[in-house]
Amino acid sequence: MKNIHGLWKVMVLALALSMLFATAVYAEDTIKVGVVGPRTGGAAATGKAFEEGIELALDRINGAGGVLGKKMEVVFEDTAGDPAKAASGLEKLITRDKVVMAVGESHSSAALAEIDVANRYKVPLIIAEAWHDDVTGKGYKYVFRAGPANSGVVNENIIEFIKDYGFKKVAIVAENSDWGLGIKELAEAGLDKAGIPYMTVVTERKAQDHYTELNKIMNFEPDMLLAFVYGFGVHYLIAQANEIGLVPGKALILEGAGPPSLWPEFWQTVGDAGNLELFVSRMHSEVQLTDVAEEYHKAYVEKFGKEPSDYKSRSIFDVLLIAADAINRAGCTNSDNLVQALEKTSLTVGSGVVEFGTAKGTYAYHQWQPPMLIIQWQDRNQVVVYPREGATGELKR
Amino acid sequence: MSDLTMYLTNGVVMGIIYALSALGVSLVVGIMNVINFAHGEIYVLAGYFSALFSVSLGIPPLVAIPLAVAGVFLFALVVEWAFIRHTYGNEMKSLIITFILSIVLQNAYLLVFGPFPKKPPNWVHGAAHVFGMFFYSNQRLVSMLTAVGIIAGFFLLLHKTWFGRVMRAVSMDREVSAMMGINPTRVNQVSFGVGCALAALAGVILTPIFPVTPTVSVGVSLTAFVVVVLGGMGSFVGCVAGGLILGIVENLGAAYIASDYKHVFGFVILITVLLVRPVGLFGQKRL
Repeated sequence: MKNIHGLWKVMVLALALSMLFATAVYAEDTIKVGVVGPRTGGAAATGKAFEEGIELALDRINGAGGVLGKKMEVVFEDTAGDPAKAASGLEKLITRDKVVMAVGESHSSAALAEIDVANRYKVPLIIAEAWHDDVTGKGYKYVFRAGPANSGVVNENIIEFIKDYGFKKVAIVAENSDWGLGIKELAEAGLDKAGIPYMTVVTERKAQDHYTELNKIMNFEPDMLLAFVYGFGVHYLIAQANEIGLVPGKALILEGAGPPSLWPEFWQTVGDAGNLELFVSRMHSEVQLTDVAEEYHKAYVEKFGKEPSDYKSRSIFDVLLIAADAINRAGCTNSDNLVQALEKTSLTVGSGVVEFGTAKGTYAYHQWQPPMLIIQWQDRNQVVVYPREGATGELKR
Repeated sequence: MSDLTMYLTNGVVMGIIYALSALGVSLVVGIMNVINFAHGEIYVLAGYFSALFSVSLGIPPLVAIPLAVAGVFLFALVVEWAFIRHTYGNEMKSLIITFILSIVLQNAYLLVFGPFPKKPPNWVHGAAHVFGMFFYSNQRLVSMLTAVGIIAGFFLLLHKTWFGRVMRAVSMDREVSAMMGINPTRVNQVSFGVGCALAALAGVILTPIFPVTPTVSVGVSLTAFVVVVLGGMGSFVGCVAGGLILGIVENLGAAYIASDYKHVFGFVILITVLLVRPVGLFGQKRL
């Protein structure tokens, strides 16, 4: 009987060791990269777009031999757009999953919490879609952004667009988040500099009813309404601005974030109020900036059987390509080597040729600003109206 | 004057809708002594049903709405039987059960309906030029009138019908009611169904204005609890008064103080009322 017990012990021990060995072998076969972003909460739609982009990026990277001869594996951690969850989520990716690098995020509040974690653990983090200037403005060595910064979007796109088309009075509605308040201040400064009169109303991030704010705006009689409200909140704002007779008759609305105007239920939620709405975007089906953009588009349609709508799927696709390129050029997964490789990046992705700024002192440090488009819905068709050189049609008022 | 009238109108409209949503919470608290944390998720379920029936299945809104409410009512009966019934007499247990239910439902909605908002078609279109001063959505006005009708119907049910008397009797004293031949378990089950149906009615009325998403329920529950506590636990008149006060205070606060702290004003009023009158404005145990 004793022998049988002893045999069992040996078998269990052998099984445990073999499982441990198998895990170790499996772990060595892949290099893990973390993705942070909202899969639940008000911006869960972004998580969906991220999932699509991750699939396409992994197909492309692993189809071309992976990284350092191994397959790239992605571990996606939900941050729900919440700073506390974002910080703990990234910490989990670093300590539990042992990711060599992390990418993603689309909420500035969450990203601002993550950058401290990345810098503390000395693990490179490439932000895809959190726009607040401080994400790179803090000058952290291990933090990069291959996506729009508020300053770039406002100064290079929104203010130039307003000046170019001769809008006379501007109303700003901004949500009280890090992104909303940050971009509002930059827009105010830009309008001040351009000498264009404006008024500002700050609204709650999760507010559904905007009648009070819109009534104040009606009294100001603007011809342009800048909406710095993310998620479904902007749908409510557009629908209600139409109900009170503000848009599109008296003013046009420019949505400063982009994807919510492209989400599948946009037209169902806003109805005809969406006609002539303007939004900022990184993507348009008729404006493919690079070969990679063409290939992404083709792969997306083949894989998902539909046209890509939320440009954040391509944003995460792009940053994963950047991560893979840096790991391959670094030749190892050492953090400092990865940072050096990232600083020397010159890679064509879907949105253009990525090259990170290296001069410290401003938001441009470790920042690459992709070209942005201003698109108008005209009879449910997307028409690029700015910049003029990329325009596919005329602005309608 | 035009501005003030607009803010007051919007405050009254929002307040009536808040009151309708909160009545269900108050009913369940008053009769069953159960705090239903999943109240907002019930509201959202009705919104999803309403959108599903009218958009996906093409059923006219006038038919889709009662179908959605009936569906939620049946769902509530099952929930009461499966989860709530075993917790009677243990408030903490029922609170935990309904809290878990709310989390499960939120995730189920995300899985089944996805993260994007769902909206049934508007019942009416366009906007009215109210008092010749400002434009106001016809859908909001019709929603408010419908809510007023439902609230009036609920009060009639409570005070003028046999079932209303039975509910009030159970609320006052379960043991004596049972001695009089009333089955408190059955009354509880139907009351829970009616409470959830009230949430569902608020959901189907409001979804054309504010489409539903899996997590919008959190705000709905929070507002309903604020209204119930403000008006007084278990008081239906308090619910209506609390809803109106909250709606008006939020709108005036956003208009004249700061629009980015709209919901803070409601909590300030709540704390003030509780400091002066801890049982709420119309607080009493009996119906």
